[in-house]
Amino acid sequence: MGDRKQARDGEFQSFMIGRWPRLMRTAFLLTGEQHAAEDLVQSTLEKAFVAWRRVGSADDPEAYVRRVMINLHARRHRRRLKEFLAPRDDSGLVREIADTGDRIAQADDRRALLTALAQLPARQREAVVLRYWEDLTETQAAEAMGCSVGTVKSNAAKGITKLRAIPGLAETVTQGGRK
Amino acid sequence: MSADRENHEMTQSDIAFLLADAADEVEIGIAPVQQVMRAGRRRRARRWAVAAVTAAVVAGSTGAALAFAGLPGGHGDRQGYVAKPPSPPRARHVYDPQRTELARGTYRGKEWHVVVQVWGAPRDEAEADRQFDAMAALGLEPADAHKPADLIGKVSFFATRGWGDARPEQVMFNTVRDFENFAGTDLEAAATRLGTGGESSGRLVIGMVARTARQVTCHWKDGTVTVAEPADGLSVHDTGSAIRPVAGFLKANWFVCRAPAGTSYAAAEVTK
Repeated sequence: MGDRKQARDGEFQSFMIGRWPRLMRTAFLLTGEQHAAEDLVQSTLEKAFVAWRRVGSADDPEAYVRRVMINLHARRHRRRLKEFLAPRDDSGLVREIADTGDRIAQADDRRALLTALAQLPARQREAVVLRYWEDLTETQAAEAMGCSVGTVKSNAAKGITKLRAIPGLAETVTQGGRK
Repeated sequence: MSADRENHEMTQSDIAFLLADAADEVEIGIAPVQQVMRAGRRRRARRWAVAAVTAAVVAGSTGAALAFAGLPGGHGDRQGYVAKPPSPPRARHVYDPQRTELARGTYRGKEWHVVVQVWGAPRDEAEADRQFDAMAALGLEPADAHKPADLIGKVSFFATRGWGDARPEQVMFNTVRDFENFAGTDLEAAATRLGTGGESSGRLVIGMVARTARQVTCHWKDGTVTVAEPADGLSVHDTGSAIRPVAGFLKANWFVCRAPAGTSYAAAEVTK
């Protein structure tokens, strides 16, 4: 019995170490803030650990973890831990974009995108992140968000439209990306 | 048509590219496996403890009901069951919350302060309307309450951080039927900033712990720690870190930790 428990703990440990970087990146895109991302991933994994006996033996533990993370994110958003969600500074929403190829410009792109993401309603942000960062199908995203495929489609479309409306990013996007 | 599609596809792949680029900004760090497993075990133990308490309460109340039904005539102790007259909304802090200052200090020449306010539950639509307006007048947005009626039967709390003359911002808040009970080493915290601007991001940690907690240790990214301990009242000797009871908030105490300049929040835990 004890051996089985130890084996399960070991399994969870490997799972967590393996998925940590990816989960951190996803959480960062969802929350827009380092501490909030760490907190979201840790809370998600705590829940996964509590249910690991069931989760670990499931076909797709990652889908479970994704679902938990999206649920937690949605719940936190409802509780509006506002400062976690909006890493804005005092200089305004979007800064001027400098020359292509410039490292400062790249950092500004990132910041502008993160700020814009933080301004999206939670469901749109979740749909955009799951579809375009996690690269999930609409069906998988719908499963993670606990909604219909149609809802994912419309949230992702609205989110993308708003992101494209950012002046610097719209330019970047129509030029095929900035590096 | 095909040009449109190509453009559309390019847009989406570029968004994916930009997201991947932005995601690289996060510091990945080392997966805190032991911390997560410890917290998971606590969560599991707490779930069991709550289940056990609920079972005990249910068993207790069933016993009481049976005992009462068994009294001859059932009138013997009737006096104890007479309903009390309803308390007025003011006494329940429906329109004017109970406020407790948790910590204060100075950042870039201006005072910052953390306050927790607890609003009593409105009992009907009229009370909820007035409460909704009173909150709005203070710039507060209750969680999950899109219309006044959403507040009926629910208590609300707001931990706010103010700096200088700026209107305080709500940092942690919720509107619930009943507050969550904190026990043992339970802790819920949010890292925020001392003033506006990004330089002080993560230097102020506000959170809740069990009423039995005697010490909270906040770990900062540079490896240093700050300890918050129970404090009575506010004085000039305050360090900006303390554990305090909050008026109207009976199921947890609140704490604040303030990080030294140049570092920010890494973790917080109950250490005593």
